[in-house]
Amino acid sequence: MSFGFPWGLLALGALVPLVAAYFLRRRQKPVVVSALFLWRTPRPRAEAGPRWERFTREASLLLEVLAVVAAALFLADVRVGEPARRHHLVLVVDGSLSMSARDAEGVTVLERARREAAKRVEDARATQVTLLATGLSPRVLAGPEAEPSAALAALESFEARGADHDAMPSLLWAQELAGGGGSIAFLTDAAPREGLVLPPSLRWTALGTARDNVALVSARRRDEGRATTVTLWVARFGQGPDSVDLRVRALPGTGAKQGTERVEHVALPDEGTATVRLTFQEAGDVEVSLPDDALPEDGRVTLPAGATRPLEVRLARGLAAPERDALERFLQASPEVARGAATDGVEREVLSFGPRGTDARVTVGATGKPRTFVGPFFSEKGHPLLDDVQLAGVRWTAGENPPGRPLVTAGEAVLVSEEEDGRVHLNVDLSRSNVQRVSAWPVLLANVVREARRSHEGFARRQLLLGEPLEVVTEAGARYTLVEPGGRRPVFGAGAVSLPPPSGPGRYALEREGDVVDTAVVLPLDARESDLRGRGSVDVPAREAGVEASGGNASERAWWPLVLLLCAVLADLYVTRRVG
Amino acid sequence: MSGRLDEVAVGRLAPGLALALPRVPHRGRVGEVRAASTGSSMELQDFRAYQPGDDLRQLDWNAVARTDELILRVRQDEVSPRVEVVVDGSRSMALSERKGARAREVALLVCEVAARQGLSPTLRIAGVRGEQVQGPSCRAALRALEFEARDDLAAALGRLAPPRPCGLRVVVSDFLFEADLSALCARLSRGAAGLFLAQVLDAEDLSPSGGEGARLVDSESGAALEELLTDDVLAAYARRFAEHQRSLRGAALRARGALLTASAESSLEALVAGPLRPLFVTGGGA
Repeated sequence: MSFGFPWGLLALGALVPLVAAYFLRRRQKPVVVSALFLWRTPRPRAEAGPRWERFTREASLLLEVLAVVAAALFLADVRVGEPARRHHLVLVVDGSLSMSARDAEGVTVLERARREAAKRVEDARATQVTLLATGLSPRVLAGPEAEPSAALAALESFEARGADHDAMPSLLWAQELAGGGGSIAFLTDAAPREGLVLPPSLRWTALGTARDNVALVSARRRDEGRATTVTLWVARFGQGPDSVDLRVRALPGTGAKQGTERVEHVALPDEGTATVRLTFQEAGDVEVSLPDDALPEDGRVTLPAGATRPLEVRLARGLAAPERDALERFLQASPEVARGAATDGVEREVLSFGPRGTDARVTVGATGKPRTFVGPFFSEKGHPLLDDVQLAGVRWTAGENPPGRPLVTAGEAVLVSEEEDGRVHLNVDLSRSNVQRVSAWPVLLANVVREARRSHEGFARRQLLLGEPLEVVTEAGARYTLVEPGGRRPVFGAGAVSLPPPSGPGRYALEREGDVVDTAVVLPLDARESDLRGRGSVDVPAREAGVEASGGNASERAWWPLVLLLCAVLADLYVTRRVG
Repeated sequence: MSGRLDEVAVGRLAPGLALALPRVPHRGRVGEVRAASTGSSMELQDFRAYQPGDDLRQLDWNAVARTDELILRVRQDEVSPRVEVVVDGSRSMALSERKGARAREVALLVCEVAARQGLSPTLRIAGVRGEQVQGPSCRAALRALEFEARDDLAAALGRLAPPRPCGLRVVVSDFLFEADLSALCARLSRGAAGLFLAQVLDAEDLSPSGGEGARLVDSESGAALEELLTDDVLAAYARRFAEHQRSLRGAALRARGALLTASAESSLEALVAGPLRPLFVTGGGA
């Protein structure tokens, strides 16, 4: 025995008041009478055996219980000797930000998708629903094979805020979940691109409308000392306004008494973007907003303070003048680095440069007999310290070979080496070399700074756009958790870990053993999602209907419980009839 | 009115009453009432031919002389008829204390009056056990009488000894049970010169009160019936009760008996002067 709609068994709850009423009636005031036969119609068989009337109430109760059970079985769509009628519908909802776009009436595409989903579930008489959300990482919102009401409730609370992505992995996954008998409904805001091969049981329904839109396509904040520079890129998609008022509000930061608000009139080019750069003093969070349009979400961002991770660099004493000058020149042009001891109380990572023979993280200099090389140079291919380092035309004067694993060699000489603990040795005598005057020098130092930043715990970047992967650095032996707007998930692995792009914008925090060690913010900006010109409405039917959806094998509801119900009711009426 | 056996009232009434014996020959011990049997009294009943073994003293010598045949005088016997009082010991008789008390008072009054009349009263109690007492023991038996039988009179009669011929049989019961009333009355009248059915009913038997739902429980079988005591239900009860009474009265008449219906609400004096009047004649044994 199986049930097509198990919730119908809740009707068995009616047995409680029924039995209660039975016992309440049994407790009626007893009245002893001399002759019970005078209260009812005499029966010819009254003198023979137990009287049926003695069991009238009990028989009535049993019949009423039978009627309730029959009703519950009917409502629960009972199946005896055959599997319950089941229809599995896999609902796939586009999770990209453009699903939040409004039409002319102010209704979002996602809201229309919710209505369509409810209609699909009802039309298909789906008994199980699996709800998927597409994205860079597809997600199961309800199921697999959840109750239809639970799936629709999950869709009601879902927000489409993801980046642009390819929906095919999600659709292929949906096909796997649907199996051979289920059907798939994909609700999105754009028609499938030409030549796209869809799963045969997939019905593609686009509910979007082509709209013009003005959006922030990127935003960046940079804090240098007390000054905060905010750079914004504004783009127009379609025949929108030629100009727009950009409102930027800087909340008061530490030490400031009041914030600052500016409204910039931005002229929008036909193609390309308009760049706006503003500077604030002692600013806290900076709120940027554009006038509401078809997609208001991409016109509002908040740039929190502390978005950059300054790397503190120290130059140890003993460095020769040429090495010191070369490092000073690089550090002056390098962003997000701070020289010397921290004075503002902000914790920074430390990168130290020193001469050979010291315990600095990076040693620069050559000892012993100098040797000059013009090539050929042999580099460890793929090492991150040597990314884009081109040594052609370089005259490199080196001394004694440094310890550690060689990264760059010339003949027998080791020019760059790395020890097990991460210390890097640059075996170069800059007074006799020209390496500091070619592009290889700042690129090499930039790689050193990047690796130093990567080796410290926390997010590699604290401000990201939609669709960018989250890169975090963790320490071995500790338990980390990523706190997302929609929940928490553990972070596995030690060292530099690249996490999948977040499913939506918001604040992300990295916790170690329950303590927040770093935070990052993902801005709801994605230029491809802000472009609503290609959206539209289309309904592409499935090439193959599901087994149950075809209706051929979908057996009808069993009616025998209803017949049983009617028989029980009639029998109860007969038993409890009042003969005058 | 008390719910207890009022022996004082019985004692007050008994001296002024006599049982209304039927005018037909009786059976019983030697007494003053003509018997149904032949005997040695002066009352001539018939003549017949002598048969060996007959008492030669009863030969009518004048007839012998006239006819040369041995003609025997058949004389009627004179007996003191027995009076039987049968009391229904079922639970319905104790529906109320008043009903039980009145039933015992009626039975005791019959026994007392019969004793004063020189008749020999026999009390037969159709209860849990068949019980039979005679003479002075009747009063004690009625004092100790408990109505505990879980079946009706028709079934309880089976536990009694077979009825013996008697002059008068008085049956005290409520007669509220389902049975073949004609057969019952015929059985009760068997061997009796006269039969009185003294039916004692409670006020709730005669006119039950209504107004609310109730679980009606049969006093004897324990069977229950859920009823809302509406006017319609009460009217149906009254209709069935009247029909039952008609059937009972008809059955009693066919058995040459009489049905006397007494309400337990009335006093014993009122009953003697009213419904039970056919059972007594005033000034009998005083």
